[in-house]
Amino acid sequence: MKVFNRIIIILLLAGLFILGVFTVLYSFDIAGYQLADLPSTLRLNDLYEGSRGFFRDVERGNLDVLDVATLVVITLLGLLLLFLELKPPTPQRVLMQRGAYITRSTVKDEATVAAMQKPEVLEANADVKAQRKPGAKVDIKASVRRGENVRDIQSGVQDRVQQHLDRMGIPVDNLKVEIVESDPRETRARLR
Amino acid sequence: MAGELQLARAVSEAVLAISGVHSLGMGRYAEAATYGAGEKVIGVVVSPDEVRVHIVARYPLAEPIPILAERIRERVASRVGLLPTTVVVEDLQIMLDESL
Repeated sequence: MKVFNRIIIILLLAGLFILGVFTVLYSFDIAGYQLADLPSTLRLNDLYEGSRGFFRDVERGNLDVLDVATLVVITLLGLLLLFLELKPPTPQRVLMQRGAYITRSTVKDEATVAAMQKPEVLEANADVKAQRKPGAKVDIKASVRRGENVRDIQSGVQDRVQQHLDRMGIPVDNLKVEIVESDPRETRARLR
Repeated sequence: MAGELQLARAVSEAVLAISGVHSLGMGRYAEAATYGAGEKVIGVVVSPDEVRVHIVARYPLAEPIPILAERIRERVASRVGLLPTTVVVEDLQIMLDESL
């Protein structure tokens, strides 16, 4: 949302700047611009007429399907933006207990190291997400050779990572392990 | 400002004296430091609301990280008074066995 807000503010300020320049030009009659011509230049009369007609139709309940659909989309978009704006940002660090945090990269490194301790795993990548409550969400993707017993390796990796992080005192809220069968020539380690 | 810097210096010395702490962290997304006139204390952020200590822990760990963090908080508590203390473990530094 920060990026979205920044884009909106930049566009708004750019619009205000252009409006300011034109206001100065028209106010002081510079280069033939006259304030009296401004409504016709901006076609404000058409806009007034159009919006007056639209609101008259709204009051009479005389809207066509396209207008209703547009209004519904605008309402939903507004609700979505409001929700995204009110939603607190995801924390950057993993909360271990009150007043103690650990960086996601440290948890990621340790989870990867623990997964790689299984001899069948050729390559492991961990993705760690911090939460507002204590504990990290850890997703591990481990590559093994084709034909290995995927289910056994999956539970083995899960146990190994859980034990390793428990020993370190890093709380894990949700640990998922995905085993991918890969060609050893495409992984970091070809032979374990 | 001078008081904050003095406090940060005292906290830094106290934390570095704790076994299990390798060094003070620099901060990940922004520099973690307390600034003064021509001087800064890296790894300790003193603000009116809290004191935040960034550390790099020694590995292998002698104890789980939350216990190390609690020891740091206890050690720092006497210096910071009523200010809440937050400990951020930024990294682990593998220590080679010196007896080898």
